[in-house]
Amino acid sequence: MAKTTFRIGGVHPDDAKVSRGCAIEVLPLPQTVYISMAQHLGAPAKPVVAVGDSVKAGQLIAEAGGFISANVHSSVSGKVKSIAPRKDIAGNNVLHVEITVEGDEWAEGIDLSDTLVTEIPGDRAAILDRIKACGVVGLGGATFPTHVKLNPAPGSVAECLIINGAECEPYLTSDFRIMLERPKEIVVGAAIMKKVLGDCRCVIGIEENKPEAIESMSKAVAELGYPGIEVLSLKKKYPQGGEKQLIDAVMRRQVKSGGLPISVGAVVQNVATSLAVYEAVQKNKPLVTNVMTITGDCLPVEKQHNYQFRIGMPLSYIAEYAGGVPEGAAKIISGGPMMGRAVANMDACTVKGSSSLLYLSEGATKRSEPGNCIRCGRCADACPMGLEPFFLFKLAKVGDMDQLEANAVQDCISCGCCQFSCPAFLPLLDQINIAKGQVLGILKARAAAAKAAAEAAKK
Amino acid sequence: MTQTIIWTIVIISVLGMLLALVLFFIAKKFKVEEDPRIDEVEKVMPGANCGGCGFAGCRAFADAAVKAPNLDSQFCPVGGNDVMKKVAAILGYEVKEKAPMVAVVRCNGSCENRPRTNSYDGYPSCKVKAALYSGDTGCAFGCLGCGDCVAACQFGALSMDPVTGLPVVDGTKCTACGACTKACPRHIIELRNVGTTPKNTRRVYVACSNKEKGGVARKACKAACIGCGKCAKVCKFDAITVADNLSYIDYSKCKACGQCFFECPTGAIHVFGFEPKKVEPKPAPAAVPAAPKPAPAPAAEPVKKEVDNG
Repeated sequence: MAKTTFRIGGVHPDDAKVSRGCAIEVLPLPQTVYISMAQHLGAPAKPVVAVGDSVKAGQLIAEAGGFISANVHSSVSGKVKSIAPRKDIAGNNVLHVEITVEGDEWAEGIDLSDTLVTEIPGDRAAILDRIKACGVVGLGGATFPTHVKLNPAPGSVAECLIINGAECEPYLTSDFRIMLERPKEIVVGAAIMKKVLGDCRCVIGIEENKPEAIESMSKAVAELGYPGIEVLSLKKKYPQGGEKQLIDAVMRRQVKSGGLPISVGAVVQNVATSLAVYEAVQKNKPLVTNVMTITGDCLPVEKQHNYQFRIGMPLSYIAEYAGGVPEGAAKIISGGPMMGRAVANMDACTVKGSSSLLYLSEGATKRSEPGNCIRCGRCADACPMGLEPFFLFKLAKVGDMDQLEANAVQDCISCGCCQFSCPAFLPLLDQINIAKGQVLGILKARAAAAKAAAEAAKK
Repeated sequence: MTQTIIWTIVIISVLGMLLALVLFFIAKKFKVEEDPRIDEVEKVMPGANCGGCGFAGCRAFADAAVKAPNLDSQFCPVGGNDVMKKVAAILGYEVKEKAPMVAVVRCNGSCENRPRTNSYDGYPSCKVKAALYSGDTGCAFGCLGCGDCVAACQFGALSMDPVTGLPVVDGTKCTACGACTKACPRHIIELRNVGTTPKNTRRVYVACSNKEKGGVARKACKAACIGCGKCAKVCKFDAITVADNLSYIDYSKCKACGQCFFECPTGAIHVFGFEPKKVEPKPAPAAVPAAPKPAPAPAAEPVKKEVDNG
């Protein structure tokens, strides 16, 4: 079968997956961890422990704070030292639970062995409950609570579960490594989610620049023999790992403006999420560990790592363990170079969705002086959502909210293709992101007003 | 040849007259009846079209003023009482005098007071910076220093001080239109009374917006308000309230005695337009910051330089 990719836009940054050969190492425990209460999309979790309590690793320390929210568990055993606001990676205050590490004792009922459990429990509701209880969130970047995504609104039918192994961001290799080292667990996780969604088709999409992963996953699928799961090799193009792009690449369907993937019968989950689902359902292990990549263009290959970390480890601790911040690092980024955010505060801690510590040199991060738009249209060609970034940029500058909404700024996925391709180095994404936030705010307010009006009419 | 010229002139003249006639009748038929007072009011307006009054421009303000039953809800901040009196005279309304206002920057996080913890190399706009993260200092409330307010000011009243990295308000040019207060993503610019009375230009304000606990705020910025409440205790006029670890001076109650200025341990309270007198002689407050200013400070200490943020 000919390799496919999404049809609109996209760019081809150098994939720079230097750390692909680094096997996953387990990080030793620090003395203290700080576990954030807002490590998922939606409402922050509410702490259920008090200062002075003894907790074990895997024990629930905070309950979901709303419908779209997730439970948070302790990643270590020890004593709760404080529950106080602390600065997160962007320097904003977020409630954290500080735990002093004492030993490494896990809560009862958690299976820490390596034995593969392939028998999938029969009860759909029980599986969903387990996923919810274990605080599993999407690990592809958005950290959307998985149990919400796996439970589509009544009336919508999932036709295809897409397991996202694209890992289209340059530099990152954490997903690649887990596909290589734990393929069977991922496949079992996919089979579990497939069952929850009503035995739909399941496609594991992997970009062709990771042939080892494709081979390893295909082998695992063949060995485990679950029906209806296939591995699909995709042409390399950024942002293939975007939900809507992956749906287009795999299913040749496009999600309409403002719609959810389920409207075209698709549910997309990351490979790391699939692994977390496996651990939650088969091993009863809450989501307290994940894999992150320590990489960058100013870091020699022998100093690059893929680490299995526990949530709440300070970034400074991980950086130090990995050999310190390299000389010549002009910027430290959490996430990929395209969509990641610069780390403003190295004392911030890892969260469920942490994927990397990326050290970039001055040459790779320096912004050139913005020039004038020459209407070359490269940004419009590159936009994977089919928007016109140069026009949105102009509208955003004057703040024309009606026109911005009419030109679908709310559909922007902030992938950065426009800014990447702009020959005039215009800050397209910076402006569009702000306009997007404002328009989304207006849409939300309007939806709330419409809901209130409908309720008033009912009465 | 002559004939051609004559015919051309005749035809053009006749055409011109006919078209003029058509235009005359059209103008009469489709004439929009407009209150002549709108034009009159518009003439006395400053004509800046800044939108500080809340209307799209001076004509929109005039239109609304003519249609409104009174002038209570309308005020032109740029023209002030003088213009409002003229408007009231044209429309035959009464107008309440409003105290003149001026923009005040409630942050004293200069480069010296507030050390940088990281460097920002993104797009130089406060709006963009605020959307990305908490800023390049330890304070998540103070000035971001990219000058969105300067760009928003139509009257040239704001400028960035290269030494402190903070905006400076030129009180003589500021019209209190409020454009800067809207442009600031941190909402640190406030419109305050120019003085306690129309003739008096004394004013006292807290030059800090940090709502964090004292220790955290002080760690981020030497001149931060730590919410100790000493100023509120010393105030005889009940003008100071401390909420969320931040002191606020109500300018409608403040009599500008300046006692709080001496009491403040961090120098977060700024005075403008006068030399405060101490009630009881005390040793000079240690924490009065010799805030770095572009021009050498006047000899009369401890009054800070008069253009100091307002």
